[in-house]
Amino acid sequence: MKIYNHIALRKACAIVITGTILLSTSCTKSFLDVDPQAKQPAVTFWKTQDDAQAGVYAIYGNLRSWANVAFPSLAVESIASDEADKGSSTNDASYLNDFENFTVTSTDGQVLGFWEGQYQNINLCNQVLDNIPGIEMDPNLKSRLLAEAKFVRAYSYFRLVRAFGGVRLHLTIPKTPAQFNMPRSSREEVYAAIEKDLDEAAAVLPVSYPAADRGRATQGAALALHAKVAMYQKKWAQVLSLTNTVMTQGYSLLPDYESVFRLNHENSSESIFEIQCEYNPGTKDASNSQYAQVQGVRSQAGYWGFNTPSLDLANAFETGDPRREGTILFVGTSTPQGDLITSAPGDPVRYNHKPYVPFATAYDNDNPRGGQQNVRVIRYSDVLLMNAEAANELNNSGQAIASLEQVRLRARQGNPAILPKVTTTDQTALRAAIYHERRVELAMESDRYFDVIRQGRAAAVFGPKGWKANKNEVWPIPNTQIELSVGVLTQNPGY
Amino acid sequence: MKRIFTKFSVLAFLCFLFNYSAFAQQIIIKGKVTDGGDKTTIPAVSIQVKGAATGTQTDANGNYSISAPATATLVFTYIGYTTQEVPVNNRTTINVPMTSSSQELEQVVVVGYGTQRKIDVTGSVATIKGEEISKQASVNPVSALQGKVAGVSITNNGAPGAAPLITIRGTGTVYGNTGVLYVVDGVWYDDINFLNPSDIFNMSILKDASSLAIYGIRAANGVVLVTTNRGKKGDAIVSYNGTFGLQSVTNPVKMADATQYATIINEIYASKNEDPLFKDPTAFGKGTDWYGQILRNAQVNNHQLSISGGGEKNIYNLSLGYLDQDGVVKSNNYKRYTARLTSEFQVLKPLKVGYNVSATASNSKDIDNVIFRQMYTSGPVVPVYYADRTYGDPNDFGLGSGAGANPQATIDFFNRRSKNYKFTGNLYAELEILKSLTFRTSFGGDFSQAEVRSYSPVYKATNAQRNETSLLGIDRTEDRNWIVENTLTYKNTFGDHNLTVLAGQTAQRNKQYFINSKALNVPFSSEGDLYLALGNAAGRSLTDGGNLQTAASYFGRVNYSYKDRYLLNASMRADGASQFYANGNPWGYFPSIGAGWVISNEPFMQDQQIFSNLKIRGSWGKVGNAGVPVNPTTLTISQKGGYVAYFNGVAYTGKSIDQITPAFINWERSSGTDIGLEAGFLANRLSIEADYYNKETQQAIFGIPVSADMGLGEAKEIGNQANFRNRGFEFTANWRDKTEGGFTYSISGNFGYNQNKVTSVVTGENPIYSGGEGLANGSLATRTVLGRPIGEFFGYKVDGIFQNAGEVSASAQKDAIAGDFRYVDQNGDGIIDGKDRITLGNANPKFNYALNTSFAYKNFDLSLDIQGVAGISIYNANLGVRYGNENFTEDFFKNRWHGEGTSNTYPSANIGTTKNSAPNSFFVEKGDYIRLRNVQIGYTLPGTLLSKWKMQKVRVFANAQNPVNLFGYRGFSPEIGKPTVGNYSPLGAGIDANVYPLYATYNLGLNVTF
Repeated sequence: MKIYNHIALRKACAIVITGTILLSTSCTKSFLDVDPQAKQPAVTFWKTQDDAQAGVYAIYGNLRSWANVAFPSLAVESIASDEADKGSSTNDASYLNDFENFTVTSTDGQVLGFWEGQYQNINLCNQVLDNIPGIEMDPNLKSRLLAEAKFVRAYSYFRLVRAFGGVRLHLTIPKTPAQFNMPRSSREEVYAAIEKDLDEAAAVLPVSYPAADRGRATQGAALALHAKVAMYQKKWAQVLSLTNTVMTQGYSLLPDYESVFRLNHENSSESIFEIQCEYNPGTKDASNSQYAQVQGVRSQAGYWGFNTPSLDLANAFETGDPRREGTILFVGTSTPQGDLITSAPGDPVRYNHKPYVPFATAYDNDNPRGGQQNVRVIRYSDVLLMNAEAANELNNSGQAIASLEQVRLRARQGNPAILPKVTTTDQTALRAAIYHERRVELAMESDRYFDVIRQGRAAAVFGPKGWKANKNEVWPIPNTQIELSVGVLTQNPGY
Repeated sequence: MKRIFTKFSVLAFLCFLFNYSAFAQQIIIKGKVTDGGDKTTIPAVSIQVKGAATGTQTDANGNYSISAPATATLVFTYIGYTTQEVPVNNRTTINVPMTSSSQELEQVVVVGYGTQRKIDVTGSVATIKGEEISKQASVNPVSALQGKVAGVSITNNGAPGAAPLITIRGTGTVYGNTGVLYVVDGVWYDDINFLNPSDIFNMSILKDASSLAIYGIRAANGVVLVTTNRGKKGDAIVSYNGTFGLQSVTNPVKMADATQYATIINEIYASKNEDPLFKDPTAFGKGTDWYGQILRNAQVNNHQLSISGGGEKNIYNLSLGYLDQDGVVKSNNYKRYTARLTSEFQVLKPLKVGYNVSATASNSKDIDNVIFRQMYTSGPVVPVYYADRTYGDPNDFGLGSGAGANPQATIDFFNRRSKNYKFTGNLYAELEILKSLTFRTSFGGDFSQAEVRSYSPVYKATNAQRNETSLLGIDRTEDRNWIVENTLTYKNTFGDHNLTVLAGQTAQRNKQYFINSKALNVPFSSEGDLYLALGNAAGRSLTDGGNLQTAASYFGRVNYSYKDRYLLNASMRADGASQFYANGNPWGYFPSIGAGWVISNEPFMQDQQIFSNLKIRGSWGKVGNAGVPVNPTTLTISQKGGYVAYFNGVAYTGKSIDQITPAFINWERSSGTDIGLEAGFLANRLSIEADYYNKETQQAIFGIPVSADMGLGEAKEIGNQANFRNRGFEFTANWRDKTEGGFTYSISGNFGYNQNKVTSVVTGENPIYSGGEGLANGSLATRTVLGRPIGEFFGYKVDGIFQNAGEVSASAQKDAIAGDFRYVDQNGDGIIDGKDRITLGNANPKFNYALNTSFAYKNFDLSLDIQGVAGISIYNANLGVRYGNENFTEDFFKNRWHGEGTSNTYPSANIGTTKNSAPNSFFVEKGDYIRLRNVQIGYTLPGTLLSKWKMQKVRVFANAQNPVNLFGYRGFSPEIGKPTVGNYSPLGAGIDANVYPLYATYNLGLNVTF
């Protein structure tokens, strides 16, 4: 041992050292080249038919997002109207009172959330519309997927143009600096883009789908939405012709109004377009619709009780109209499914019946309660009432009365003592009757607020709540967006 | 190559087995080591036979005994004393008086990849001895640093097992990894919770950029170098350190009692013209004190047993630790088991090999962090239990959701265990190639696993607190990291020239993998049921993810000094990081340079009496931060639950692209200058150190908002966005002395001042709003803007309370009601809006200061540490976050506006409305505090007694941490660390959204050495 040659050991070690350093140096390049973990690089996407399908799934899935179905949408499209109160307990989300009182400013978070949420839909649509055309795949499927994306893009722009007037119009994925900071297009330009999308969508979309695809946008959905878009522009002839077409596509009203909104009647013959939601236990992120949760009966664990029907709405129904109970859950009453509606002091005494999910329906604390409730976006009765209104505006009171009566007939549910047939042929009186019918038939479905503005009656109807003409027709453009645009985005008047 | 390795390891192994050294004529030498000044004996002095591996230590009475050749030379070393070499010359008794190394400069300082004499250091490096850390009886080694080092700000979290926030010289990073780097015996960590504080031998805190630059890639937020205890040659020393303590909440916030609560809630209803909720407030009496119900005095026990020693050819240290800490919140408990073994073998004369390994297991019984909010908000009118032992239900009192929980039920039905296992350490070898040239190689690894098992049973406690489907979640995270380091150190003296050259190379790979699983309807009759397999087949879910980063680095350093007067240090590091690989250039270069002049060693200073030491130094360096996700420039697909589509009830996986990536992203880097002065007076009894620094973070990486109409999943884009500057001044003074009578004492004070400023930001004049965590209504309480500190509080200035409707109508706030805040219309446009907001305070402390003292007389020792911060604001978010009938503090109740003329400072009970709870000056409070950080009194048993018992040392002590805290802040604790709920970002620092309560710990401790 003593004769061990230290020199030799040193030499050996020197070789080891040099070796280690050289080895690590020569490996450096690949050593630092690390793949993103648990994330698929975008360059590998938009290559196959499956990718195209996945891109469209994302569009439909995102329609359930918080911004699309919960606070931002309820604030912007419902709470401000005379049919809804903020709801919940006094101070809970008291910022929503700004919608109730028309004190919303450009820094409001819900307005921003709504704006952002719609553009998120639009981006997902633009991703599909820009990328799918280059994919080699079944050409029929390709054109249908593109049409579905156009439908959702039109729907999102419609929600934007109603809420803000002219907005930034992205019809492709923004790529250039100019597209990153565009000025607002005019209201007319936005409407034109919407109508173009809907025309193109309706030309391709099927009237119906096989069961496995139930829930996708149909031709009827594109036509009905187009009718609504036309109605907001008072293009009555177009409304009439579009609704006439939809009325030949096999839709029908269910016999019982209340049941239209229950889980067993999702995607029914009355449904023209619904946002598809499911309770998918164990996958919180995919059971994410909070539509029912935020509006559900507060005394039930997991429900928040916002956007409650106003007293004004409760009083608006004709005597005996079953739709009153079909729309409003009154505290102290029981639902047809046997749930007693209770309330703590200070909590709302009325709740929106339409998102109601019977209490015994499966849920767990890990998922938003009532996450399985689909959101009815367009129902056949809306199409009938649009048809009636357009016919009346075009002085065709006969068709107007007939279409209106279809709605009232179902509402009557066989009880001849209530809801007498409207017979007046006076255009003004009939118009008032149709307006009233829209109010009660489509109550608490986020239609009323912009409907009244469209009708030009907002100052009279919402004035007492604080609505001001030449300002409240639209909401403010979110201030952060104006700041980020360095002034390229302009604010709406009055804000 | 393989053959050499094999041969090498066989040899190494053989060397362990055979003792091959020849012995000369051995004699036994005995003696006593004393302090040359006061003649007291010194225990634990290391005695070594020069040139041999033999060594021992003095016992508690300063006595030693060693076997050595009669011609040998003994080397006596002890920290704080000059090393002495004494030739044996056939003597069998050698008593040695040690002279205290008045030259503090002789001390050795641990720096990056080596050590330096303190005299040679040209940067700012603070050293804390292990005993100072273990003395504090703190359960976390980092919190023991609080107040010890100028410029180091520690914010404790309080929760058992939680790591404190540590900031060195101000906030320099706002995104990604904002923490300091800990290097424990050469292995890199993000936190050192796995270490028992008693295992620490030394900590070096590298503060200035030149000292940090050698750690280029990860140095931007500072580096703490930790050296753990190792054995010394000689007989085995067995020591036990134990503390038994009690933690007790200090400075509790008093909440309104039930009568006060009912009164103030009725006021809310009255203001809305609603009937009172409570008919007769006085009927409730005092009601439930929820803090009293949920908080407790909690025990904490910490034990450490170590065995250390060494033979001719090896040294070892084995330490076992056990910590059992209850949280001050009932049912919260944290247990930590630590084992650390370090060994070193002199395999051959020029070759040493060794290893350091730590095995740590911890087991925590967690609490639901919403409990902090619930204790604050829950209505005192609700009893804990009704007479029939069912839970008091807020719903029965109509309290609604804001105060809708019974905190006791929250505690009782929360079942979550977190287990952490860590096995980490390194293997190293040191080869003396030449006398002056040493090669060291080290391979370190860190394997840890964290498991969180949560179970939500089926229960119904109250209307809101119930669950109808049980849920079991098992989440597991694994870390598998390795790091290789090779360094070559050349150290030589040529006459008056001292030269040290270091060259090195490292590579590391950090891989993380997590897998989270869930199942519904898992039964629970015992813990044995808690397996996913027992749950429903439907709805079982599994998700996983991971992260992988690699880095390769090369570095070098030259330290040169001439006659111990002129010092020059320079270093360079090149780091390649996988995060930036996709950029095309993953390499960053981090140079540093430092120079010093030891004036006191100049000939012309030899005659003066004032300075025993005087040195000025200056340095500059550049460091980097790679705390970003891998390849931030690579666009990836988003595939999330929200993109799942359902058709006919079937789920379809959706994917798309909803992000944008920067075309290019660069290192976040920071360059800093430091100018320092070190001086000693009166034979170094008084020493001072002063530093001025200027640290500039360049190209700071974080996400800035992009236009929402891009439609991104998150409307942010990360990139190099801003430059920050931290500029400050640090001062430390030490006085230590011994009197003739044997009274030893030291008093040390430190003070740090830091000013933080945004010097450029890509958003230009547009501020970045942040700090929404814990606030209501989506409010953002902080603003980061050019020319101002990072994350300043920002909001309206309150100039009073509206007393009546007349005042409201005469004001700019037409929609206010009496009792609301009156805001200053800063721009005078007659409208109160966002434009009227102003800067309200800074969450980053301007001043940190501390006074640390220790006194020893005969067998008694006393130490007393005071620490404080000043020039800091806190945003007290708790008061304004209200959704309904939340409770109020008693202070608020007593001072609130409740009718004209009742208050012009506190608003009415409607403080939670959007307008009143908007960030404003009422919520911003001074966060200054001063506290008795640590007080300790110890008694060491006399040596005569101990030798009878064959013991070296027995010391008993009592210690109190944080027993006295003085602050004006109206919350629980002025230490606002990470929020108990939600995420932490430096842009939202200082927002108190129910922090862990402040508590004092009282310990009784025992140190025994055999």
